[in-house]
Amino acid sequence: MSLVIRKYIPQLIVSVIIVLSVTFYYIYINDSIAKGFSTADKALSDWAVIVTSFALIVGGVDILRFHLTKIRREGIRQAPFSTVTIALLIIMVVLATIGWYYSYADPKAGITITTQPQFRWLYSNLYAPADSAMYSILVFYIASASYRAFRVRNPPALLLLVTAVIVMLGNTTIGGLIWPGFLGLRDWIMTVPNTAAFRPITIGAGLGTIILGLRLLTWREISWMGRRD
Amino acid sequence: MSRSISLGKILESRELLYTLLLISVILPIIHPLGIPIAVSARTKAVYDYIENNLKPGCHVYFEIYYEVAARGELEPNVVALTKHLFDKGCKIVYGSLASFGVIVFELMKTTAADVFQGREYGKDYVFLGYVAGGESAAASLAKSIKGTVSVDNYGNRIENLPLMQEVDKATDFDLVIIASSGTDTFAYYVRQWYTPYNVPLLFAALSIIAPSIEPYVGAKQAVGMLVGQRAGAEYETLVGRLGLGMASMDAQSTSHMLVLVFIVIGNVVYWSQRLSSKRGGGK
Repeated sequence: MSLVIRKYIPQLIVSVIIVLSVTFYYIYINDSIAKGFSTADKALSDWAVIVTSFALIVGGVDILRFHLTKIRREGIRQAPFSTVTIALLIIMVVLATIGWYYSYADPKAGITITTQPQFRWLYSNLYAPADSAMYSILVFYIASASYRAFRVRNPPALLLLVTAVIVMLGNTTIGGLIWPGFLGLRDWIMTVPNTAAFRPITIGAGLGTIILGLRLLTWREISWMGRRD
Repeated sequence: MSRSISLGKILESRELLYTLLLISVILPIIHPLGIPIAVSARTKAVYDYIENNLKPGCHVYFEIYYEVAARGELEPNVVALTKHLFDKGCKIVYGSLASFGVIVFELMKTTAADVFQGREYGKDYVFLGYVAGGESAAASLAKSIKGTVSVDNYGNRIENLPLMQEVDKATDFDLVIIASSGTDTFAYYVRQWYTPYNVPLLFAALSIIAPSIEPYVGAKQAVGMLVGQRAGAEYETLVGRLGLGMASMDAQSTSHMLVLVFIVIGNVVYWSQRLSSKRGGGK
């Protein structure tokens, strides 16, 4: 029974949804049936939205569990970091709940989840600068890496360097002062050779998605259930 | 040889590059160089598309899908496009398939308060807020917005908003704009909005992910694409509202030039060392 609940029923649900999705999207018999298919397809999409919303709650609970386990296992060494994460998680949820409550209890006040003053203050003054700083640090690594990577060791490396220089100059205003043609050349590189290189990747990814769908349909792909047996 | 080796060692030190890079980013922001910017053909094509194809009263769906870290590159595009659309008399429905989209929209509205001034919420624009579900949500919104979300970001019933009485499904929109820091979002809209309903799409992407979504533009699945901060600055020039994009362009230019200088010097040192060692080996 346990195997049926843990393995076969989830796989059956996935297979049925795949068959239904493909049928609703591709099969046309007549207008009346197409209308019915469209309504059913919308219901499936809505279900996906609802399930994803619940998955967010699971994600929040999982973070909480993960850090509580880490504190228990690693003790004082991990405690400060995990405590900050847990505390901020709870604070943000509480503040968002207050905002959500006011959006219904007193709509005229104009307070919602994102406009709740303390929630917004924490987001704007704590999360936003931290997120921006993390992203900004990349500039140093990218600069350092590009300086080391662009050594002209062979003809293909020279080609890569010339392309990179043109694209970089095309992205700057100084490049336009040196030679106005850099902008057009950058656009040509992006739209012609780059597209030619990326199109096979996109087609390959599409074929991969079809194969994944077929594997899910035939119960060969089970890694999504968190195990390989 | 020893001179080139010592220069090579100096250049190898990351601290020097990092310090110069920091200076090259901060200085132009404090003292702008004011280098004029030329508008690229691609940005002009996007501007012309909106100018020639959208009529007053048209409806645009605007996907906001970027985190605060990507604001510098994408917000100039979003603000300039919003101004252009409002100037054209278009009505905009904003939405986000990402939870962080909600807060960046609010931040954008605060920094571009002048663009939204005189525009009535519910009539000229609406913000649906976060719609969970990724691609499924995009598919669901395309079929029926009212059937997917019952309230907007501020708790108003969707059916009570005048703008939402004019639009509901993908085909009700004249243009869909996707401003995203992720590659998948563009694919969602190509698959769920363009392919089944043939709704024109317009992309605003980070420079780093633009190459990967270029095939969609090449295949005419999108009417155009604005790439990164430069496109934002160019669009600001076109709509006559200089902002964050233009202010940051000098910093982008100087930092790019610094990296280029380092690449050139690095290669000069590398080749001088290589030639010297060859000569030494030949003796």
